[in-house]
Amino acid sequence: MTTKKIRKKDIGKLLGIWSQEFSVIVPSKEEGVAKMDRWDGKDISFLDWYRNTVVPSKDNFLPPMEKMFSFQKNRDGYHIEVPQDEQKQLIFGIRPCDARGIAIIDKVFTDTYEDRYYLSKRKNTILIGLSCTNPYDSCFCISLGLKPTESADVDLMFTDMGDEFLIEETADKGEELLAAASVVKEATKADEAKAKTVKATASGMVMRRIDTKDVGEKLQARFSDKDYWEKVAAKCISCGVCTFLCPTCFCFDICDELVKKQGARYRGWDSCSFRLYTKMPMENPREEKWQRVRQKVCHKFEFYPMNYDVIACTGCGRCIRLCPVNWDITQILSRLPGSVTSQSHK
Amino acid sequence: MEHKSEWEPRILGVLCKWCSYAGADLAGTSRKKYPANLRILKVPCSGRVDPLLILKCLRLGFDGVVVSGCHPGDCHYQTGNYRARRRIALTKKFLEYIGIPEERVKASWVSASEGLKFAQVVAEVAKDIEEVGPNKLFARDGD
Amino acid sequence: MEQVLRKEARKLLEEEKVDYIVGFAPGSLKFSTTPLITKEKEEIASLVINPFIVNNLAKFLTEVRGRVGIVAKGCDSRSIVSLIQDNQVVKEDVVIIGVPCSGLIDIVKVENLVGKDRDEIDDIALQGEKVVVTAGGKKRELPTKEVFFEHCLGCEFPTPQEYDTLIGEPVAALGDKELSRKKIKELQDMTPEQRWAFWKEQFRRCIRCYACRQACPACFCERCFVEESQPQWVSSVPQWQDNLIFQVIRNIHVAGRCTDCGECERVCPQNIPLRSLSKKMSDLVEEMFHYKAGIDRSAPALMSAYEHAEAEDLIR
Repeated sequence: MTTKKIRKKDIGKLLGIWSQEFSVIVPSKEEGVAKMDRWDGKDISFLDWYRNTVVPSKDNFLPPMEKMFSFQKNRDGYHIEVPQDEQKQLIFGIRPCDARGIAIIDKVFTDTYEDRYYLSKRKNTILIGLSCTNPYDSCFCISLGLKPTESADVDLMFTDMGDEFLIEETADKGEELLAAASVVKEATKADEAKAKTVKATASGMVMRRIDTKDVGEKLQARFSDKDYWEKVAAKCISCGVCTFLCPTCFCFDICDELVKKQGARYRGWDSCSFRLYTKMPMENPREEKWQRVRQKVCHKFEFYPMNYDVIACTGCGRCIRLCPVNWDITQILSRLPGSVTSQSHK
Repeated sequence: MEHKSEWEPRILGVLCKWCSYAGADLAGTSRKKYPANLRILKVPCSGRVDPLLILKCLRLGFDGVVVSGCHPGDCHYQTGNYRARRRIALTKKFLEYIGIPEERVKASWVSASEGLKFAQVVAEVAKDIEEVGPNKLFARDGD
Repeated sequence: MEQVLRKEARKLLEEEKVDYIVGFAPGSLKFSTTPLITKEKEEIASLVINPFIVNNLAKFLTEVRGRVGIVAKGCDSRSIVSLIQDNQVVKEDVVIIGVPCSGLIDIVKVENLVGKDRDEIDDIALQGEKVVVTAGGKKRELPTKEVFFEHCLGCEFPTPQEYDTLIGEPVAALGDKELSRKKIKELQDMTPEQRWAFWKEQFRRCIRCYACRQACPACFCERCFVEESQPQWVSSVPQWQDNLIFQVIRNIHVAGRCTDCGECERVCPQNIPLRSLSKKMSDLVEEMFHYKAGIDRSAPALMSAYEHAEAEDLIR
């Protein structure tokens, strides 16, 4: 795969070329909240202010609310209408942590049951990554085997070198995408060296660390320690912010809506932090807050790796930044007995 | 005033069992005429009415809701209607603030012997709601 | 002041007057604090008082089992009183450590004015009526009016109304009725159709994370109406109609309990202007029934009281 480059001011032209074939989605702001949204055709100012979105890119594949099918009953029976396959889309500017998050939850949606809603969007979407050059102080992707410039989970990776962006092709799709664009030039060895420095600087800015060595076993050793988990969970208020905004959380609920003889079935996000998440007629196994907090931590760092060989966390730091009470997973894990406390934060 | 053809307001009447529902009954047995726009929901007391019910009805497509109970001082459960009064007053004003016209949420005190008043209330409410128009507040986009 | 607080908290634990201390400790992000709920005397040393102690700690009173020594700002102490009025908390189980509060800094406002995120700012210092922000080697002075939370600017009760100990001297209220209601005034000047369109657009963005409800001490129901399925009042998926109903009814249900602590708006990850609903509700409560939440411990709660004649102009 060759490396290419493009001038920052030409990126709009490239997006324009892609707009002819795809619905292009870029970082944008609504009411001060950074999100991924349809490109308006001209604004590329996000290249200056964008750090990461509030809602991760999983919302393109597993939206907060999605219609599964609609139905109608009339004289000759039931009619069910399933939404058509999604149109082709291209997400420009996804960060490595969010791209890895999608790769992690892919495993769940392709396991014993292939989720048609998730997969139809997934196969129709191209991911174009943008390296982080200004990670937050809440970021800790390095500890999860990632870096702010990791390109393994995207089709093309853009890295900001100043006036120009380096473009790395990581998949065959990448070459095709760039083929028609005259604004894309070959990168020189000097460009590659410059980008390498930018990347090293970015990685060096990620200060927060967690110790993931044997984290599953350490958690297992603590499982029945109610006092420990009560302390850990004390300040959590059981809202859904951390789970909803997590790139690797994927739980959903299904809800039917019926008015007279027609209706629809929807699915929407659900959270294991909610008290009634796992309530059943006979009992609620996680009635107490400490049980839910324990489950959230263990699911991400013990059970998911047991099932899928990967920790369900990408170090994006949203849970730390946006938690109403500043509950901090990195603090919890670094205080886990047996862990090396090596995080530093101001 | 020109009567809007095609559309007839659909109004939910939430009537307390002891006074207003009995008053509605009396309106019927006394053959008092009033518009047929009202569907009736019987509740034990107007104090039982959660503003949630009012909003849910508007969500479902009712054009208006009228809650009716015993006169203050006369509640079968002593103080239920006082609670209703505070709740409904706040609800009306709050809904006005978010853009739902106050006219869609009405309240009245109708006692068991006030068959005529009940008929008058329904007629007034139906007229007011006709003027406000059909409720499309919660309609899905494209509806 | 922090030393006085720590001494007081330690004393309460040592003399076994409380089982837990609930207060604020430094957060893991710059210019942040985090709730501290502890039985351990050693952890008392991390208690802080600074312009970032945003959480309404009264929330924890309905779940912590045992006697609690709680750090309370003005708004928080009113929430505690409101919980006592509603019989959710027994006064004898709570020792209120009152902290007079002259206003808290909204980090988001600072970020917007300075054009840098909190982790790119070096220092924020409150100096009387100005806030000095140091970033990238440059200092900038911002008037507190521009960086304090709106609810702080309108605060009428900065000194706790009810307390067992007061840390420091009572402070004067900022009480600016206009600054704290800017958005509400804008909305009131719109037509009903414009207002509905505004809220419809806002609630399209709601993801029903329930951070607003969970952060609010007045929302203490064991089972919220949104969690009912027989009948189902609102959909569990975030349709804008149901998002709007959820928030409107939540505000009606907490009418008379809301003390304008501003947490609902602060914690919303989608920046929905929730305080424009909650503050309007508490204004209506005051106008119509001359009631302010959490002022008098022995007074009946708003919906438990009535006058023989009131609001009759709204009833036929």
